Amino acid sequence: MADIDNKEQSELDQQDMEDVEEVEEEETGEDANSKARQLTVQMMQNPQILAALQERLDGLVGTSAGYVESLPKVVKRRVNALKNLQVQCAQIEAKFYEEVHELERKYAALYQPLFDKRSEIINAIYEPTEEECEWKADVDEEISDEMKEKAKLEEEKKDEEKEDPKGIPEFWLTVFKNVDLLSDMVQEHDEPILKYLKDIKVKFSEVGQPMSFTLEFHFEPNDYFTNEVLTKTYRMRSEPDDSDPFSFDGPEIMGCTGCQIDWKKGKNVTLKTIKKKQKHKGRGTVRTVTKTVSNDSFFNFFSPPEVPESGDLVACSKCQTWPLSFSSLKQLLEQKKISNGICDDDSEAILAADFEIGHFLRERIVPRSVLYFTGEAIEDDDDDYDEEGEEADDEKDQNPAECKQQ
Amino acid sequence: MADNSKTEDTASDSLEAAKNATNKKEKLADQVMQNPQVLAALQERLDNTSLTPSSYIETFPKAVIRRIDALKKLQVKCAHIEAKFYEEVHDLERKYAALYQPLFDKRREFINGEAEPTDAEAEWHSENEDEEKLAGDLKNAVVIDEKAEETNVKGIPDFWFTIFRNVDMLSELVQEYDEPILKHLQDIKVKFSEPGQPMSFSLEFHFGPNDYFSNSVLTKTYKMKSEPDKTDPFSFEGPEIVDCEGCTIDWKKGKNVTVKTIKKKQKHKGRGTVRTITKQVPNDSFFNFFSPIKVSGDGESLDEDSEFTLAADFEIGHFFRERIVPRAVLYFTGEAIEDDDNFEEDEEGEEEELEGEEEGEEEEDAETDPKVRILCA
Repeated sequence: MADIDNKEQSELDQQDMEDVEEVEEEETGEDANSKARQLTVQMMQNPQILAALQERLDGLVGTSAGYVESLPKVVKRRVNALKNLQVQCAQIEAKFYEEVHELERKYAALYQPLFDKRSEIINAIYEPTEEECEWKADVDEEISDEMKEKAKLEEEKKDEEKEDPKGIPEFWLTVFKNVDLLSDMVQEHDEPILKYLKDIKVKFSEVGQPMSFTLEFHFEPNDYFTNEVLTKTYRMRSEPDDSDPFSFDGPEIMGCTGCQIDWKKGKNVTLKTIKKKQKHKGRGTVRTVTKTVSNDSFFNFFSPPEVPESGDLVACSKCQTWPLSFSSLKQLLEQKKISNGICDDDSEAILAADFEIGHFLRERIVPRSVLYFTGEAIEDDDDDYDEEGEEADDEKDQNPAECKQQ
Repeated sequence: MADNSKTEDTASDSLEAAKNATNKKEKLADQVMQNPQVLAALQERLDNTSLTPSSYIETFPKAVIRRIDALKKLQVKCAHIEAKFYEEVHDLERKYAALYQPLFDKRREFINGEAEPTDAEAEWHSENEDEEKLAGDLKNAVVIDEKAEETNVKGIPDFWFTIFRNVDMLSELVQEYDEPILKHLQDIKVKFSEPGQPMSFSLEFHFGPNDYFSNSVLTKTYKMKSEPDKTDPFSFEGPEIVDCEGCTIDWKKGKNVTVKTIKKKQKHKGRGTVRTITKQVPNDSFFNFFSPIKVSGDGESLDEDSEFTLAADFEIGHFFRERIVPRAVLYFTGEAIEDDDNFEEDEEGEEEELEGEEEGEEEEDAETDPKVRILCA
C-alpha cells in the first residue's frame, strides 16, 4: 500500500479510481500558516506591542491622514512630492477636457445636418423618400398578426376620415410626456404651448470662451409669446480649484441663466392671479384683493434661481424630494430674500435638479430624440436609472456634474 | 405670512375655484363616457395598446409612421458618427497618456527610491495641516527606537500594496499569501491601442525581482467594442469592454499561489485498503486576475456566474485605468476612497437589484461615454 501513497491522482489508472471511496481531504502547506498564527498570538500578549498598536489605531480612527502621519518623515516627504505631481496631473486633465469639448463642438457640426433633417421631417418641411423610410422592425417590435389586422382597420378608418397629419405632430411634446424627468415639470396649461415647440438645439461655447453649452428651444409662431427661441445657458467649471485640486473630476455645471419670455397679454402661465377676501378685524368689513403669485409651469425653466456669487453648492441632505416646483422656490425667494453667498437647501435642490435636466437634455434627449418619442430609450434608461423608491440615492448614474452638487 | 386668518380665505378661495373647474371636467367626462361610440373607440384602442409609448405609436397613421422610420434611419447614422467621435476621444486619451507619463515616471522613481524629491518638490500645505501635525507629534512621542530605521527607508514602502489594501474592490481579491508578492509591485501602467488597431487598453503590472516568478511585467489586456451593433444600433453608448486576456506567469518552483495541493485519502471499496493521493486544484489568489475566463469565441453565452465574474473583472480593469493609476497617491492616502464612498454605497444597492439582468454591462458609464465622463469621470 505504501507505494501508491502520495502519488498524483493523475498517475493512477482508471481501474483503481473506480474502486475507491473518498475518506478525507487535507491541505498541505498548512504548517507555515500555523506557525505564523502562533507568532501572532504571542505578539498580541506583549503589553508594549499592544500599547503601540492601540496608539496607532487611535491615530488612524477618523482620518485617512492618520495613516500617512504614522509614516516616517522621509517617507512623508515623498508622499507630498507625489501630491504635487498629482496637482500637475489635474492641470493637464483640465486641458484634456478642453480638448474633448472642442471635439464635441466639431462633432456637433457633423450631427447638425442630421438633426436639421430631423426637424424638417417633424415639422413637415420635408417628406422623406421611400428609401429614407425603409426600416426593418426589431424582433421585439414585431407586431402580431392580430395587431396588424387591427392596425389595418384603424388605418382604413382614418383614410376614410381623410386625416392628413403633417410631419410628426406634437413630436417634442410627446418626448416631454414620455420622460419622467421632463413630464414632472409640464403642467396642463403648458401643453398647448409645447405643441408649438419645433426643435431643441445644443450649442457649444467657442474656443477661448469660458466653457458652457446652451439649449435653444425653437417655437413656431403662437398666441403665447413673441420669442422664436427660448434659451438656457449652462456655465461650466473646467479647471481644478486651487484650494482643492483633487476634487476635480472633469467639467461641472456651476450655474445657469435663462432668458426673458415676452408673453402676450394674459398668456403668462408662470403667473396666476388669486383673489383674497380680507376681513377688517375692527370694522368687520370685507374686501377682495387680487394678487399675482408664481404659478407652477415648465416655463419657469427659463427663470432659474441665481447661483450665489460665493460658495459652492454643497450637497443637500434634504434633496430627497424631487422634483421640486420652480414656483415654490420663487415664493421662498420672495419671502426669505436670500442674500448673496447663502444658498438655502431648497434653492440648492432646485438648482441641482435644473442642472440634471440641462445635462439630460444635452446628452440624451437632443441626440436621440426619436428613441424617446417611440419609448425605446426610456425602456433602456429604466434599466440604468434607479426608480424613485430608492432613498439616499444621489442619482448616481446622472453624471456627477450633478452628483457633485448633491 | 402676516396674518393667518386672512390667508385662510385665500386658500379656500383658490380651492373653491379649483373644485369648480374639476367638477365641470368631471361632468364632461361623464357625458363622454356615456356615448356608446366613444366607448367603442376607447375599447378598441385599449385592446390594441399596452399603454407603452411604442404601442401607442402603432395607432398612428401610416404617413406618420413612415416619418418616424425615417428618423430612426437618421438615428443609425448618428450612432455611426458617434462611433467615430469615440475613436477620436481614444486618440485624445492616447495623446494625453503621453503627457501624463513623465509625471507617472517621476512618481515611480520616488516610490521605489530611485530618486529623491527636492525640497521644492516635497513642499505641501494641506487644510488639515495643524491637525495632522498634532497627530504626528503624538505619535512621535510614543514611538521607540524607530528613528534609527527611519532614515534607511527607501522610497515609499509597500505603496501599491497599500492601495490594494485600501480599496475594497481590490482587497477582496488579495489573499494572505498574495501579500508578500504584491510588495514587489513597483508600478502599474496603462497602455492604449494604436491608431488602426482594434480599440483596447492594457494594464502592465511591473514587479521588482522576486522569489515567486521570473516575469518583470504581468499584463492584462481589455478589448473594447467601439462600433454600434448592427442588430441593435441604438444600444450603442460608446466603447465598452467586451473581452480580456491575461498572460502566463512563470512561477518559480513551489511558489505558484494560484494552485494548491490537497491530499486525498481514498478507501478501496472492495479491499478496504486506504491510500493517500495528492491532487492540484485551483487556489484563490489575486494572481488569477491574469487567467481570466474566456468569452466564448463561437458565440456561446456563458453561465450566469461566469458572466458575473467577468463583469466584475471588467469593472476592476476599468477602475484601474480610470481611477487608480491616474490618482494613485490619493488612494494611498485614502483621500480618494472617502470620495468614492459617497458613490459606492449606491452601486452596491444597485447590484442587488439588478442581479442577473446586467451581465456584462458596466456599472460605471464614465469610460464608455466620454461625454458623461466629462462631467463625472
